[in-house]
Parts: sequence; structure tokens; C-alpha cells
Amino acid sequence: MREHKNPLRALLRWEVLLAALIVLTYLFFNAQIPQNYTIPKLLSQTRVYMVDVGFMALGMLLILILGDIDISVASIASLSCTIMGVAHNGGAGVPFPLALCLAIMVGALCGAANGYLVTRFKELFPMIITLSTSTLYRGIAYIILKDQSAGGFPGWFSTNLGYGMVNIFGYEVPVMLFCLLLVIPAFYVWLHKSPSGRRVFATGTNITTSFYSGLRTDRIKLTMFMINGAMAALGGIFLTARTGSVKYTMATGYEMQAIAIAVLGGASTAGGKGSVIGLLLALVLMTCLKNGLMLMYNDAFVLNLAIGVLLIMIVLVPNLSAMISQYRQVRKRRSDALRVS
Amino acid sequence: MQKRPPLYTLLIRYREIGLVLIIAILVSAVGLRNPGFVQPSNLLFILEDTSIMAILAAGMLCVLLVGSIDISIAGIMALSAMVTGVVMRHFLTAVEGTVLVNGVETVMTIRTSVSLPLLLLVGIGVGALCGLVNGSIIAYGKVLPIVTTLGMQYIVYGICHIVSDGKAVYRKEMSDAFVEFSRASFLGLNTKTWIMLFVYVVLMLFITYMRRGRHLYAVGSNVEAAEMRGIPVQRTIVMAHVIMGALAGLAGLLYGSHDTKVTQDMAMGYEMYVIAACVIGGVAVTGGSGKIQGVLLGALTIGVINNALTMLRLTGSSEFWKKAIQGSLILIAIVSNVLLQRSLNRQNLRRRNI
Repeated sequence: MREHKNPLRALLRWEVLLAALIVLTYLFFNAQIPQNYTIPKLLSQTRVYMVDVGFMALGMLLILILGDIDISVASIASLSCTIMGVAHNGGAGVPFPLALCLAIMVGALCGAANGYLVTRFKELFPMIITLSTSTLYRGIAYIILKDQSAGGFPGWFSTNLGYGMVNIFGYEVPVMLFCLLLVIPAFYVWLHKSPSGRRVFATGTNITTSFYSGLRTDRIKLTMFMINGAMAALGGIFLTARTGSVKYTMATGYEMQAIAIAVLGGASTAGGKGSVIGLLLALVLMTCLKNGLMLMYNDAFVLNLAIGVLLIMIVLVPNLSAMISQYRQVRKRRSDALRVS
Repeated sequence: MQKRPPLYTLLIRYREIGLVLIIAILVSAVGLRNPGFVQPSNLLFILEDTSIMAILAAGMLCVLLVGSIDISIAGIMALSAMVTGVVMRHFLTAVEGTVLVNGVETVMTIRTSVSLPLLLLVGIGVGALCGLVNGSIIAYGKVLPIVTTLGMQYIVYGICHIVSDGKAVYRKEMSDAFVEFSRASFLGLNTKTWIMLFVYVVLMLFITYMRRGRHLYAVGSNVEAAEMRGIPVQRTIVMAHVIMGALAGLAGLLYGSHDTKVTQDMAMGYEMYVIAACVIGGVAVTGGSGKIQGVLLGALTIGVINNALTMLRLTGSSEFWKKAIQGSLILIAIVSNVLLQRSLNRQNLRRRNI
């Protein structure tokens, strides 16, 4: 454990900051709209604001830790769910569980294609590669589905998974959230406690050193992109369960949301940094904020404005306070030196 | 020692030639299928159609050179166009007047508002201000560029919505001068093309011959070295973002004038094409390397691809294919440029005498 000499510095730890912000947000909105902003209502709203984007953000976290970025997650979700819908409901008539597996496989395949391009063409930046594959994947979804939408999923999928509730410790929790909460601890243990998870951090911190220490960095990257693709497909599946149908435009803009949440959770686009706990807290914070703002203003643009301010502020404020304390130290040292002379 | 073939040395020295080849192959391939594509009028149209993206790409070059990136440009475009539109709407006067159209007297509504230079100043000023905010947060606040501008994208679109008061600006609320701004032509070329050429010439002179322009390369290549050399690193980063913001403001006005409407979600997703144009043009996203000629060619490549897809009319449902083909063509263009570079480098190594 790292010792914090100054208790104030310890308070500035990312997770603590996020937790404090969550409490503040909750208290603020609870005071403004007490009848609509309660924990049970928030829990039921996690279905809308937390689950699907949460899966995508988990995948994105891996990519950000590697120091890469994947813009194509929303398109992967769109393509895999399109194929799922068409396979189940189109001429093929694939049984639904099989169609689900197919969707996840398509997601993994798309991710693998990204990973292959990223590792094969190192001169190109992941951002630019995934940018063009994002147009490509959504274009394929467009070709398959045209302007129509696919639906007609079995009842257990759209009713039980999409709208079902389970009772945990006296709280009504959506089934979707329950699924996410099952995945997150597994992710935490794998990423932070297992050797293969640590290898991801090592690769992201310094890829050259990792390569010379015997890590197969290319294979790690490829695998992470594959997992990211599968997670994107999973997010898309949950989104489909919630909305009940698939369109090629589904999940537009989710890639930016996923990146925003991962960054808010302490990941750095420069690589080597990020934590699952931070991500979970960022998700909760986003849910509290979005829900409250939606109830108060009912305006998606105001919502985005607040998210933008939050995203910049939460990175800017610790930086500025560190800079100010550094400046003070320098001045103190200078005045000490003057006094001695 | 054998005599070197001059073609290779040329290709190695000027990366852009590879890109010219790609464009030439694309144009001739599409021209074979549809001769209308290679008509001078269509080629000029491609130039005109690409000019907005090219202007943005020139700004993006400055930002990428210092090792930063700006993904909020679409939002900045929307905001500056919207602020200008709101100003225009506020001072609008519409008068019924008779105008000679093709020798026939016609009654038309003549709309006048704030003069065009003033509107341009407002739009570019708003853009530059957004760029200043971006640059200051990145340079002085030490926030990663991608995070800053991602946040700014949300913020700027939000402000745009607040400024607009939920209403878009349409043709009937625009002054005639503003609408004419992107439509007039001078010496056979559209004003947009002229503005683009002007921006490119000025920026090229700036980043190749002026001290502050060279600072962009210095900061992007090695920040520490630039700082030790006495280059104002932070001010240079801010400057790059201000240039980007001002050009985004200008591009936003052109976009609004061209579309004759300004909406709150204008140009959403445009930033990706601009970054793609820069990367195709050989600009390194890590900063420090990239030429403005390459950026222009990169923008033209995307312009040619877009136009070709419309001209080809592959099948009855070409619209469905357009998006997919667009993505893969951009990918192919980037990858083939890389492969070309690799083979050239290998040739170069092989020819070395050790």
C-alpha cells in the first residue's frame, strides 16, 4: 500500500473523489426533487442509464489500459445485434440462444479484426483504424437490415431480462443490473489480481519493455480487442433487451459515452492506468447525475453539457490543485534559500 | 554502384506522390465506369465539395503537429454557426422588392441583416474562443487532449442548444448575403474553393517560414527539448488550438451557408472524417510530422471517395452500400499508403551499401 503523508492528498484519490461526488449528487437532487429521486427509483433507472453502456465501458477500459482506443464499439453492437435479429427472425430461423451466441461471436470477430489491423499496422493509430472499421461495421448492418427493424424476440428476453426485477436485500433490482454486478467482480479479480490482467497493465505502461520481458504483446492486444468486441456485443444485447428491437442506428454515440465513463473512472488514454472500481463508481455517478438532470430539465442537451463539464472538471481540478501546491513548495524553497543566504 | 532509378528517390523524398497515385487510380477507375466523373466541371465540384473538410483538416494539422487532437470541432462548427445565425435572425429585415431575374421583373423578398464581414467576425471569434478554452485546459491544466475535447464536444453542443433556444435557423431567417456567401463564384471557382486555397496558402507560409509556425513542429517533436530551447510550449499549444477553433468557426459558417440551415446537431460526426483526412495525408497523430500538402491530398482522397460513390450508382440501393464502402475505402487508402511506405523503406535499406 502506498502511504499518503498528507491526509489531504489521500482525499484527492480518484475513487474517494468519485464517491464524494456521488454522495453530493444524490443529496443535491434528493433535496430538489425528493419524491422522484429515491434509491429504489434510481435502482430501477439503472436499466436505462447504466447497464448497456456499462458493458461497453468495461471492454473499453481494457483498450484504454493498453493505451489504445476503440471508436467502433457502438457499430460492433449494432452489427452483432442486427445479425442476431436477422438470424432469429429472418429466413434462417436460428433458435434464440444460438442467435445470442452468434451475436457475441460476431462481436468478438469484429474486435479481432480491429486487433489484427492494430497489431499488424503499427504505423497507424488505433483511433484511425477503428474509426474506419466503425463506418464499415455499421455499413454492413445497414446493408443487412436496410431501414427496417428486427424484433419479435422471445418473451423471456424482452420481458424478463429487459424489464424483470429481482429482490436483493429488500431492494428491487433490475435483472440487467444484476447481470452487470455479476460481471464486474469477475472483471475486477481478473484484471487486478490475476497475472494475465497484470500483463495488460504492463503492456499499456511500456510496450517495448514488456515485449523484451517476454510478453507476447501483439497477442495480448489482439485478445483485448476481441474481448472488447464481445463486451460491445453484450452491451448491444442488453440494449436490445431494453428497447425490444434492432435498428442499424442503434447505440449511436455509445462509444463516446463508454470512453467518457472509463476516463471518469480513472483510466488514461495514455495507457497503463485504470481501475474497475473507479469505473463502477463513475457508472453510478453518471446514473445519479443523468437521472436527476433528466427529471429536472428533461433535456438531453443539458445532460450532455453537464457530463462534459464533469468530465473536464474531474481531471482538471486535481491537476490544478497539484500545480498550486507545487508552486507553493517552489516559492517556499526559494524564500528559505534567500533567508539562508 | 548502380544508378538509382529516379522514380524511387522521388517517391521516398515526397511521400505525397503515393497519395497522388492513389487518387489518380481512384479517379481513373471511376472514370472508366462513368465518364461524367472525370469531366472538369465534376472535378471542380469535388474540389468545392471538399473545401469545408479541407479547411478543417488544415486546422487539425496544426493541432496534431503539437501532439494534441481536437474532436470537438463539429461542436465548435455548430456553435459558431448557431451564434451567427441567432445574431442574423435578431437583426433581420425582410423587404418585398422587385428584382430582374433573367430579364423578367419578379417580386422577391430581400433579406438584409448585419453585414457579412461582421457575421464572419462573430463566427470566427466564437470558434477561436472555443479553441482558446480547449488550448488553455490542455496546455495549462495538463488534461489529456482527447479527454478535454471530448468533454468540450458535449459542452459546446449543449451551449449551442441553449443559444438556439430550441429553434433551428432556416433560409427565411438568413440574410441574402450570407446565403450567397458559399454560392458566389469568382474567376470560375466557387468562393468556398477560394477560401480554402487562401487558408492553405497562408497556413503553408506560416508553418514553413515563420518562427511561430516552426514552433509547432518543435513542440510536437520533443516537448522537453523545445522547452529547454526557450520555445513557449504552452503558448504554442494554445495557439494551435486557437487556429483550429477559428478555422472551425469559418467552416461552420460555410457549412450553414451551404446547407441554408443551422441546426443544433449540425455537422455531428464530422470530426472523424477530418482526422481521417489528416492521417491519410501522412500526419503523425503523435505530433511533430506532417505536411500541409499531404493534408490537402488526404482531404481530396476522401472527397473523391464520397463523390465517386454517389456517381457510381452501383445498384438500385446504392445508398445502403455507400456507408460500408466508404469505411472500407478509407481503410484501404490508409493501409495501402502504409504498405507503399514500407516497401519503399525496404528498397531504401536494400540499396544501402554496408
